[in-house]
Amino acid sequence: MALSCVRLCPRHMGPALHVCGYATLSRASRPQEKSSGGPVFQYVGEHRQPTHKVFVWGFSFTGALGIPSFVVPDSGRKKPRKYQFTPYRLETAEQISSAACGYGFTLMASSTKDVTKLWGMGLNKDSQLGFQRTQHSRHKSYDYVLEPSPVALPLIQPQQTRVVQVSCGRAHSLVLTDQEGVFSMGNNAYGQCGRTIVEEEVYSGSHVIHRIEGFSSRVVQVACGQDHSLFLTDTGKVFSCGWGADGQTGLGHHSISSCPVEVGGDLGGVEVQQISTYGDCSLAVSRDGQLFGWGNSEYRQLTLATESTQVRRSDVQGCRNELNIGGDTYWKPYRFVNGLTCFIGLKCLIPLMSLHGIMTYGNIQYLDLQKIKKQHLLRLFLCMKICN
Amino acid sequence: MRSPAVRMFRSLEGLFCVYKPAGVHWKLVRDTIETNLLKGVNATSAQPLPHEVRFLSNPNNKPEAAGGLALRAAAVPVLSKHPLVTGPEFQHIKVGVGHLLDASSSGVFVLAVGNGNRTLNDLYRTRTTREYTLECEFGTATHDFTQMGRVVERSTYDHITLDKMERVISMLEGANQKALRMYSSVDMSSQEAYELAVKGLLGPDGKSVPILTGLRCIHFQPPNFTLEVQCLNETQKYLRKVVHEMGLELRSTAVCKGVRRTRDGPFTLQDALTRHHWTAADVMQAIQQYRSKKRSKKGSRTLTDKAVLQTSEETLSLSGKRS
Repeated sequence: MALSCVRLCPRHMGPALHVCGYATLSRASRPQEKSSGGPVFQYVGEHRQPTHKVFVWGFSFTGALGIPSFVVPDSGRKKPRKYQFTPYRLETAEQISSAACGYGFTLMASSTKDVTKLWGMGLNKDSQLGFQRTQHSRHKSYDYVLEPSPVALPLIQPQQTRVVQVSCGRAHSLVLTDQEGVFSMGNNAYGQCGRTIVEEEVYSGSHVIHRIEGFSSRVVQVACGQDHSLFLTDTGKVFSCGWGADGQTGLGHHSISSCPVEVGGDLGGVEVQQISTYGDCSLAVSRDGQLFGWGNSEYRQLTLATESTQVRRSDVQGCRNELNIGGDTYWKPYRFVNGLTCFIGLKCLIPLMSLHGIMTYGNIQYLDLQKIKKQHLLRLFLCMKICN
Repeated sequence: MRSPAVRMFRSLEGLFCVYKPAGVHWKLVRDTIETNLLKGVNATSAQPLPHEVRFLSNPNNKPEAAGGLALRAAAVPVLSKHPLVTGPEFQHIKVGVGHLLDASSSGVFVLAVGNGNRTLNDLYRTRTTREYTLECEFGTATHDFTQMGRVVERSTYDHITLDKMERVISMLEGANQKALRMYSSVDMSSQEAYELAVKGLLGPDGKSVPILTGLRCIHFQPPNFTLEVQCLNETQKYLRKVVHEMGLELRSTAVCKGVRRTRDGPFTLQDALTRHHWTAADVMQAIQQYRSKKRSKKGSRTLTDKAVLQTSEETLSLSGKRS
C-alpha cells in the first residue's frame, strides 16, 4: 500500500513540479527592507488639497453653466443639452476662489490683483452681470451670456483690490472686495441693491454698479436672498436691505428697505460669525455658537422656536408671498439652537452642528443643488447623505 | 455483497472544501487528500479470505496403494484473493478540484470525490461568485504585484486618506458594474433584463473577463490596508493587479501581501478543513454535512417541476450576491 502511494504522486505531476516538494516555494528575493537602496518617489505632497476646479451642472438653457455648446451646439448634428446631470468641468481663465449661483445666472470671482477679477454667465435681463456689451453695438447689452464673461467693476484701484466673495439672488448680485466695500448690481425694485429705488427703472442694459454705503464698519460677508440682501461686518453686526414682506430683512417691519439698516431683535449686541440666507429665510450664527433665524417659515424651517414664549406677529395682512400653510413668519431674529455654521436651501435649513451632528428643519423634498454655493458643496453632500 | 472498503468509498462521494495553505501548489493538496483517502479506504478491516474446497493428496499415503491416489478434501484459503497478491482494493480515487488557487494564495479550495465530480461540473457551470480578502501595503510596486517580487518603484503614501481610497473604490465598482451589464447576454432595455437584475442574476454566462461584483476596504491603516472582494471569473494574479492599479490611482504604489479566499460559492471558511484534518474520517464528516445541507435546501424548495440545476443555480447566485 505504501508502494502504491509513492508511485501515485510522480505519475500525476508534470515535469515542472518536480522541483517543489512539500516545502514552501523558493523565494526569488527576500522581503524588501525599508532601508534598501533606490529612490523613493513623491507624486503628491502630504498636505495637498484638491485644486480649485470648477464643475457645473443643472439647467443650461439660460447659459448659467457657461458652456455655449450646451445651448448652441457646435455641429449641426448635435442637439442642445438642456440638463447637465453630472458635474461638467468648466475651464476658467484664472483660478476661481469664490462662486455663486443666482436664479439662472452664475458669478465667479478670482482673488487676483489683475484687472479682470469677476466673470459672469447666464441670465442678464436685469443687468445682474453688469453691462455685457454686444458685438455689434456698444449701447446694447446681452440678455443671455453663454460664456464666462468679465464683469467690469468701478474700482478706484483695480490693481490693488481683490474680490473676496460674491453672492447672487434672484435678479441681483453682490460683490465683496477687501478694500473697497460691497458692490451691487441688478434689479433694485425692492431696494435689494442697497440704493434708492427709482420708479419704473429699466434694468436691462443698465450700467449701474452701485457701491453700497451706510455700514458702520468693514463688511466681511455678504449673503443674498431672493429679493433681499444681508451684510455682516467685522464687528459682528448684521445689516439688511430689500424686500421684507416675510420679515426676512429682520428689521422689525414688513416693508421694503432700500438702504442697509442694522438688524436688531435678539441679534442686538450679539457678535455674529456667519450669515446665510436663501429664498425668504435667514439664519445667523453667533461667535459663541448660537443660531438665530428670521424670515419665512412656511415650511416650518424655524419651528423649533415656536415653543418659546417669544412674541411673533401672527397677522399677515401685509404679506404678499406667503401661502399660509400652517407656518409662521418671524419678523425678528430668534435664537433657537446652538450651531456652528448653517446652510439654507430653498425650503429647509441645515445647521451644521459639528462634524457629526447635523439637524435639518423644514421640508426637504426638493433640494436644488444648482442653487447652493459650490464652496460648501462637500459639507452639503454630507448633509444630504444624512437627510436621505 | 459489497466490501467495507467499497461501502466507505460510497459514503465518501460528494463535495467538500479544504483550506489550502499559502506556498503550496494546489496539485500537492489534491494529491495529499487523495493519498489520505486511499489510506483510509484501504485500511478498512480486511475481509476474511474465502475458502475453497481443494482435493489434496495425502503425502503420507504409501505409493503402492492400489487403485490410484488417495485424496482428501480440505478447505484451503484462496491465495489469489490474498491482499498481498491482489494489492489494495483502491489504487486510485478520482478527486476533482474546483476553482484553482495559485501557489502564494490561500483559502477555501473545493474538492470533489467520485460521483461528486459530476456535481462539481454542474456547480461551476452555474454562476457562482468567490470572496477574497486581500492584504495590501502602500509604498512599493513590484514586477509581479506580490511582496516577493523584484521592486520596481517605491513611493510615498502620506497623502492617502480613507476618503480618497473610497473614491477610487467607487470608481472601480462603477466600472465593474458596467462590465457586468455589458457581458450579460441580455438586451439592457428589455423586461427580461430588469427581472434578472431584480433577482440579482444579471451577469455573464460562462467565460468572460474577470468582474468584481463587490469591493470594499475593511481595514485602513497606512501603509497597510485590507480589501474584501467578491468576483467572477477571476484569477489571483488579476486581483493583485487590481491592488497595484489602485495604488496607481491614488498617486502612489501598492503591493499585495496576501490573497485569501474566504468563500467559493456556497462553501465558506467555516466548512474548510485545515491541514491536520485531511484524513478520510474528517472528509467523510464534511461530505455528510454538505449532503445534509443540500437535502435541507431541496426540501425547503416547493418548486418540484423545476430542474435541480436551476434551483441550485438560484441558490448559489443568491448566496453569491453581495449582502
